[in-house]
Amino acid sequence: MALSFKVKAISRSNFLKNLSLSIIFLLSFLLIFFSKSDYFLVNKFKVISNNYIHPITSFVVAPINIISGIKTQFNEFKNLKTENTILKEEIMRLKKWQTLAIQNSSENKVFKKLLNATDNNLALVKTASLITKSAFMFSKMININAGLKDGVINNMAVVNHRGLVGRTVDTSINNSRVLLLTDHNSSISVKTISNQNYSLLQGADDGVHLVSIFNKEDQLPSIGDLVVTSGSAQIFPSDILVGKIVKKTKYKFYVLPFVDFKNINYVQVVENR
Amino acid sequence: MSLKLLSSKTIIYHIILFILFCISVNHFNDLKFINYVAYVFFHLTLIYLVFYYFSFILFFIFFTYGVLLDFFLINYISPHLISFLSFILLFYFTKKYLLNFSSNKISYIIFFSILIMFIEESLLAKILFNYPFKFDDLGWLIITTIAIFLPSLLLFSRIDKL
Repeated sequence: MALSFKVKAISRSNFLKNLSLSIIFLLSFLLIFFSKSDYFLVNKFKVISNNYIHPITSFVVAPINIISGIKTQFNEFKNLKTENTILKEEIMRLKKWQTLAIQNSSENKVFKKLLNATDNNLALVKTASLITKSAFMFSKMININAGLKDGVINNMAVVNHRGLVGRTVDTSINNSRVLLLTDHNSSISVKTISNQNYSLLQGADDGVHLVSIFNKEDQLPSIGDLVVTSGSAQIFPSDILVGKIVKKTKYKFYVLPFVDFKNINYVQVVENR
Repeated sequence: MSLKLLSSKTIIYHIILFILFCISVNHFNDLKFINYVAYVFFHLTLIYLVFYYFSFILFFIFFTYGVLLDFFLINYISPHLISFLSFILLFYFTKKYLLNFSSNKISYIIFFSILIMFIEESLLAKILFNYPFKFDDLGWLIITTIAIFLPSLLLFSRIDKL
């Protein structure tokens, strides 16, 4: 009697083990299978982990964040004298430009009136601040404190005062994840200001530059050209500053983004007006 | 099984694991080495748990951490999940041979397992999601592993003696 009960208990526990193992592997297979196709289940999971796990991890690493902040401040303090000299030179240069800019601005206003042109093609959806950043080894992303409740949806352009930062990818009620331009899987259609040379850019292997993966014209744009969004992919509004061409090979060119991705504190989610 | 999961030593390991996970998924601009150390230490703790505190619940824990690491570091699910589950499954089927080895040999196996896991994760990220296979990152991970391997084993043995 006792022996038969023991055998039954063992076989039941083995059955449960096998069942749970099968469930784990089946679930893994499903998650892997649907992760690239943006299936509802995977998106839901991403939203939940974004909403609940990110705040916990941020709380746990708060002391390290404080140390990191102190180190950054110390580094800034160390370079204060050099930066001061650079800033003085910059002020002198900018004063000369200011006079010219005031003249141009008044001329611009007159020309715009003559052309009946609208001021800007961007509409601000929400200004948000950065919550966390994940740029270790693989993807380059940031988390911002604006979500569905603020009118932010997936695939909206994110900018700051320097230019294009990236696009929103996983939007939950309160937060959104932003895929940075420098991520290897981010792709943007751009054009050069000087000769309207259209091309596609993605994050380069070094994690700093952007590299061209497709160029519409036969001739590559020249080094020093400024690159802006073309607006042709319907995700990014046109004419947002992206960066400057700094390197060229036979088939590719490299762009250094204007945005300093190490020091992003505030961003703006924008859309086409 | 549940007793094994709730023993004080195992709880300490799981707390360590959770803290390391939190550090690994957050990026610190001026303290990048902390990310490397936490990432390596996290893998090391996982493998150590499998070798010395194996229980069936670890399948669920590996699954959860695999999915979360993939989601936070890659935004797609696969490389960490496949790597973790394949490791624990391999251990599950070979544990009766592996556990006959001396502790020295097990240390070597842990060391090489962690390196294989890093390479596997990077390769899967490259093949499945087009993320570049960065030799400098891999180099830093290997250097960090070499640097923290013995101290972490010492720490683990201290915890084991509690």
